[in-house]
Formats: sequence, C-alpha cells, structure tokens
Amino acid sequence: MTISLFIQSIFAGVSNGFVYGLIGLGLAVIFRGTRIINAMQGEFCVVAGMAAVVMLDHWRVPLAVAMLGATLLGGALGLLLELVPVRALQRRGGGDDSYLLLTLGVAFAISALILYFVGRDSLALPGVGGEATLIVADAAIRVHAIWLVIISTVVMFALKWFYSRTHIGLSMMAASIDADGAATTGINVPFMRSATFCLGGLIGGLAGVLVTPLTTVHYAMGLLLTLKGFAAAILGGLNNPFGAVVGGLTLGLLEALAIAFVSSGYKDVIAMSILIVIMILLPNGMLGRRTRKGG
Amino acid sequence: MPRAKLLPYVVAVVLWAALPGLVSRHVVDLLIFAGLYTIAGLGVSYLLGHCGIVCLAQSMFYGIGAYCVAYFSAQHALPSVVAFAAGALLSAAIAFAVGWPILRLSGHFLALATLALGVIAQVLFLEWDWLTGGTLGIGGLPKLQLFGWELNTPQRFYYLVWPVAVLVMWLKRNLTHSRNGLAMRAMRDAPAAAAVAGVEIHLVKVRMFVLSAILGSLAGSLFAHYVGFISVDSFGIDRSISFLLLAVLGGVQTTWGPALGALFVTLAPELLSRFGEIHAVLFAVTLVIAVIFLPQGLGGAIEQRLRRDSVR
Amino acid sequence: MSRALLSLRDIHHSFRGLHVLKGVALEVPTGAFVGLIGPNGAGKTTLFNIASGFLDPDVGGVFLDGTDLMKCSVQERSRRGLVRTFQTPQVFSAMSVLENLMIGRHKQTRSGIVGNLFRSPRSRREYQTAKQAAMAVLERFNLSPVAEHKAGNLPAGQQRMLELARAYVGEPRLLLLDEPSSGLNNDEIAQLRRVLNELNGEGVTILLVSHDMNLIEAAANIHVLCFGEIIAVGSMATLREDARVREAYLGL
Repeated sequence: MTISLFIQSIFAGVSNGFVYGLIGLGLAVIFRGTRIINAMQGEFCVVAGMAAVVMLDHWRVPLAVAMLGATLLGGALGLLLELVPVRALQRRGGGDDSYLLLTLGVAFAISALILYFVGRDSLALPGVGGEATLIVADAAIRVHAIWLVIISTVVMFALKWFYSRTHIGLSMMAASIDADGAATTGINVPFMRSATFCLGGLIGGLAGVLVTPLTTVHYAMGLLLTLKGFAAAILGGLNNPFGAVVGGLTLGLLEALAIAFVSSGYKDVIAMSILIVIMILLPNGMLGRRTRKGG
Repeated sequence: MPRAKLLPYVVAVVLWAALPGLVSRHVVDLLIFAGLYTIAGLGVSYLLGHCGIVCLAQSMFYGIGAYCVAYFSAQHALPSVVAFAAGALLSAAIAFAVGWPILRLSGHFLALATLALGVIAQVLFLEWDWLTGGTLGIGGLPKLQLFGWELNTPQRFYYLVWPVAVLVMWLKRNLTHSRNGLAMRAMRDAPAAAAVAGVEIHLVKVRMFVLSAILGSLAGSLFAHYVGFISVDSFGIDRSISFLLLAVLGGVQTTWGPALGALFVTLAPELLSRFGEIHAVLFAVTLVIAVIFLPQGLGGAIEQRLRRDSVR
Repeated sequence: MSRALLSLRDIHHSFRGLHVLKGVALEVPTGAFVGLIGPNGAGKTTLFNIASGFLDPDVGGVFLDGTDLMKCSVQERSRRGLVRTFQTPQVFSAMSVLENLMIGRHKQTRSGIVGNLFRSPRSRREYQTAKQAAMAVLERFNLSPVAEHKAGNLPAGQQRMLELARAYVGEPRLLLLDEPSSGLNNDEIAQLRRVLNELNGEGVTILLVSHDMNLIEAAANIHVLCFGEIIAVGSMATLREDARVREAYLGL
C-alpha cells in the first residue's frame, strides 16, 4: 500500500467517523433527554438525504437551500415522532423495551414508504464544493469531506454550549434528570421532550445531507446507520457530550484500518467485535469514569 | 379434564390436521414458515419474557443450523441427525462462549451487543463463501427423511414442523411453572433480591441463551431441509428483528403467543398484499400500532379477555 | 455467651475518597437479637452491603460461624444462611405473593433447567414442596388473604412482611434487616416486633437496622455507628445514659 492510498483511507475513516459521530450525537441527545433509544435515528439521515436530492433535482433549488431544508425536515420528523407514536405509548405506560420496538417499527414503516415512493435506486447528491478535491501528499481528498468535518465539529461545540449555557438547553437536561422536580419549577416537561426529539431529528437530518454526497442514499441503509451511530455513542459513553464523536472517529478509523490491512468485507466484523469488547471492558464508554459496584 | 374443556382442543387439532387439504399450496408454505418462526421465536421469547433479555442475534443461530445441513447433509452426505446435532452443538458452544461475557451487560447495552453479534454473523456468512456459497447460496439440499418417510411435500413437512413447535411450547410452559422459571421472573423484577434468594443470575441467563440458540439452530436446520436452497439473505439482521417482533407481538408472557406472532408476521403481509405495493408500509404501521395498543401482545390480550370472561 | 455467628472485623471502606467505614468491628452471637443504629450517612447500609456480599470492603473480613466469607458471592452467603432485606422493599412485583415466597425456597431445591423443561419427577416434586412451604408461612405473616395478589400491588406494609416472609421460608440462620419498619404504621410495627421476637425465639439470629425506637428496643444489644465508627454498645437503657451517643444520635 502506498502512502497516498493510506492517507486517503485514513481520511475516509475520519469523515465516516464524523458521520457515525453525528448520528450517535443525535441518539445520545434523545437518550439523555428521554431515556429512549431511538432505533430510527438512521432513518432521519435517509429521509433528509432523499429530500435534499428531490429538492435539488425536481424543485431546482440551490444546493445550500436543499441541504438546509432537508435538515429542517429531519427536525420536523423528530417532532412528529415524539408527538404521535411516542406520546401514545407514553400515555399507555410503555417500558424501555417497548420504545425500542416502537422506534424499530417506525423505522420499518419509513423504509417501506421510501421503497414505495422512491424505489430501490440509490440517489446521489453533489457535495459542498461539488466534486472538487484537494491533493495532500498525492492523496485526493474531497472538499465536501473537509466541510463535513468542519460542520460536525461546529455542531458538537454548539451543542455543548446549548446544553450548558442556554435556558432551554438547561431545562431540557433538568426535565430528563428529574421530570417531576422540573415540572414543579415550572418547566414544561412534555415540551422539552418534543424539543429533544426535534433536536435529535435535526442532527440526524444534518448527518443525512452530509453523508449522502459521499455514499449515495437508498431506502434500506437506515438501520445500519443507526447501528453505527449507536456503536459510536456507546463507545464514547452516552452521557458524555463529546463521546459520540470520539466514538465515531474511533469506529471510522478502525474500519479504515480494517479495510487497509485486512479486507473491506471484514470491516463491519472488526468494528462490531471491537464494540462488543469495549462494552464489556469499559461499561461507561472510553471517556466514562468507572462507577462503583453495588449501592 | 371435563369434556366441555377438552372440546376446544379437539376442534383445534382437527382443524389443524385438515388445514393443508383446505388451503392452497402457497398458504401451506406460509404456515410452515410460521411454524419454523415459532420455534426460533420461542427462544427469543424465553429470553425476553423470562429473563428480560432483548436478543437480536437469533438469525446467527438460525443460519448456523441451516449451514450445518448444507455442510454435513449435502456436501458430506451424512445422515440428517448429524447435521441437526452439529448445528445444535455449535450454536450452544458459540452461545456459551459469547454469552458468558456479554450477558453481564444490561438493558440497551446487551441488546446492542446481540445486534452487533448478528451483524458479525451476517458478514461472515457472506464472506465465507467456500462454506455458504455467499450471495449465490447453496442448492440441492436433501429432503428430510423421518423413519424412511421422505418429507418431500409441503403437506408432509407441515405435519412435522407444527408438532415440533407445539413440543417447544410445552417445554416453555413446563419451565414457567418450575423452580428455574420462577427464579427467572424473580431476577427480572428485582435482581438484587433474587441474588439474596440464591438465584445464580448470570448462570441462569447464560443457560437460557444457550437454550434459545439451540432452538434457533433447530429451526434453521428444519428450514434448510424444507426449502432445499439457502442463501445469506435468509440470515440477515432483518430476520433477527422479525423473530423479536413476532415474540413481542404474540406476547412474551404467554406460552402460545409466539405462534400467534409468527402466524401474524407470515400471513399479514400476504393478506395486505392485495392492497398492492403499499403492503410493506401497512405491515410496519400495524406493528407500530400493536406495540402501542397491545403491550402484552396478541396472546396476552386474548388471555386477559378469557380470564375476565371466566371470572364473570 | 455462645460464639459469634456473624463477625465483621476491622472493616474499612471509602467511596471516591470519602471514608465511609473506618475500622468497624461487630459481632453477632448465635441466637442473639442485635440492633444497629446511627444517624443518616453513618454507613449502616454500606456495612450491610459488605456483610451480604454486594460490596467488597477495602480492608477487613466477614466471617460466618468462623468461616471466611470474603470469597463468597451473595448467593453463596445466602446458601450458608445469611439473608438480608433491603431499605426499599424488593419484592418480585409482577409475581403473586405465593410465588414470591416460593422463590425463598430456591436454595433448598436443586432441579436444573433441563429437568424443569421436561417436567422431571424431581422438578415437579420440588415445585410442590416449595408451594407447600410457602403456604405454610402465609398465615404467620398475615399474607393469606393476598396470596394470589400481585406483589407489586400490595401496600408498603405488606410488602415489608412479604420480604421478611420470603427470607424466613429459606430457613436462614442470620437475618440482616435494613429499616424494616419504614413506611409502616404503629399497628404494623407492633406486629413486626412480635414476629421478629418469635423468629428470634425459634433460634434465628437477627441483626436489625432501624430508626424506630419502638422496634429497636426489641434488640437486647445495640451498636451505635457514627461516621464510620462504632461509638457505643449496650442495651437501650445504657445507651440513653451514654453522653457520646446522646450527642451524636439521640440529640438529647
């Protein structure tokens, strides 16, 4: 393997890692806000990616507008998910597992809807900066991938600021940590849950419009994206704000190394095996502290 | 048992025996799949209902059972009992080796670990094409011989698969009303108190995981014999998810719920298919509605109804 | 005095630098009824967790009837006769009261999962004997009327009784009871005290943690734990006279 190929695969790993990180970030936002594992996080990406393509190709809007519109659509979808099925289940008192199954069912429904309306085709989206590439030590790196890294990093810091400095961010945290206590201090807990899902949807939508130019998008890829995002979030620790991105990068780089040194077919095997091992050895993620045993 | 109580069972058995003669071959096909899914789904249902474990790795054991038939019965022409035993042993060994560390995880983490396991299996089935035929698959698997009787028609296979499914349901019922069945429900409700009562929580979970894996493998071996052709498409994560869904839909607390769930996931898409291409959407929406409105599953809802009627 | 059934020797424990137990030594003689009191945060529950095997101490030893328990799991300690209850009652909420009690017999039975699956004779016999043993204690703990009720639907008082009954079905040698009276009304506390005295009379050794003066008086000997150290031992009457105890705990 030449140096340039190696650099290229490492950079592919980094950009994939940021995508996993963004998806994981969306999952972690929803988990921290509501204790629900959202098994349709990847569908936000698929829907947003598809929507961006449709807006660009059929409505002829500029790329930036299409991307922004699709991201917002992700947020709207998140809101809708909370308002209809999640609330219906909450009213009937569902357990943890039932939320997992519920979101899994919604994921199926969305993927089936896309299959019905769009079909099996993979859709492509031009990236930010088109097909332009940057040459670093003979390795060609797409400008879009660099934008992806920049945007993801900005989002990560913006989220940290949002949760630690803004009133709504703090209220969302309070509502999730102690719903009853938060309600007595005047926080509208149901609204905060909706806002949490909306935020998760926005992040998912953003991940979708950013990943589509790199990989194309098709109806069946949501579940695998969810899984990778979940892996990223767990690797980094669900409760750490930077965890998902650190976990995503780790996962992306491991996959890249697996492709470079083993074979591309085994990248998921290696990523998933490492995920299992890390969960067993570091139950609170790589950034988490060890907690004490018992009580 | 009083005669009046026996009657519904007699009717059910007669109906079951007559069914293959009354419906089309295609429906018999679906009913056989429902039987196979019941067997594999019962394993998943044991784990979730008794131990609170969400298992998304059942497709792995289903695949192992099937590929053992391909390897031992087809490639090496050994008797099918060898393939069944090899599949069960291999599944049990893997379930034990992997289950020991991962069953110490809890809740979502364990669910994710099993999902990751399912993904690993899916990729390995694809990559080890010298064994599995990869996407092209393996054909020409022999029909199952039972006491010199060749199960070469769907009808004949139907009369094998459902008794096996009922046997597994009977086992589940026995377990529910036993020392370890009680212990499992206890450790799901209050693990610390169960430990104080002397329940070896981790050991029980590992054993149940092994048992579930054996059932998955059994269903997979039967499946391979029945269809005669297998490819990786049958052993993906989506299959694991449908095993879990059928268990939940049917109701994990009931003995016969998984059979109901299996009939639902095999027959519902068929019934919905006359609405055209939209049927997959309708199916998924039905699932969502079922999760929201039937927390105890179809079986649980029916049992509750029956109990209320009998009290009246 | 007979020799100690439970002996905690020089127990030290800290959480994240906070020294919760500072060399606690405590002996519970066979057949005794011993109390343990102390202000909130004194380390009583931590001590229980260490004695029952949920927590390993940083330093120190736990002995039951002279046997070192440090290598024993929670389950193994339970099989040797050391059974505890919890500060918040831990019942198996989705199961009936009777089934809850049957779990108490788990360690007296042996049948395996395979035997259970195939309804082996032993499996059936054990299930029946466990059921009979459970039925036999229902009356004593006033649980007969609710035998078929779901444990999770019981009021707090009955959940406490159920927890105690479940521990008793398993024929314990030593009961560690953590605040069994919290959430109970006066009648229930009086009943609890009567039951505990009866059990003790039958030879069950008891170590009781309680804030309730009416209940703790039942103990012949009371240890006072304060900020991780035992500061006094004696009967309730002598403790009332002890200046340190009055200052630290009774607040008199």
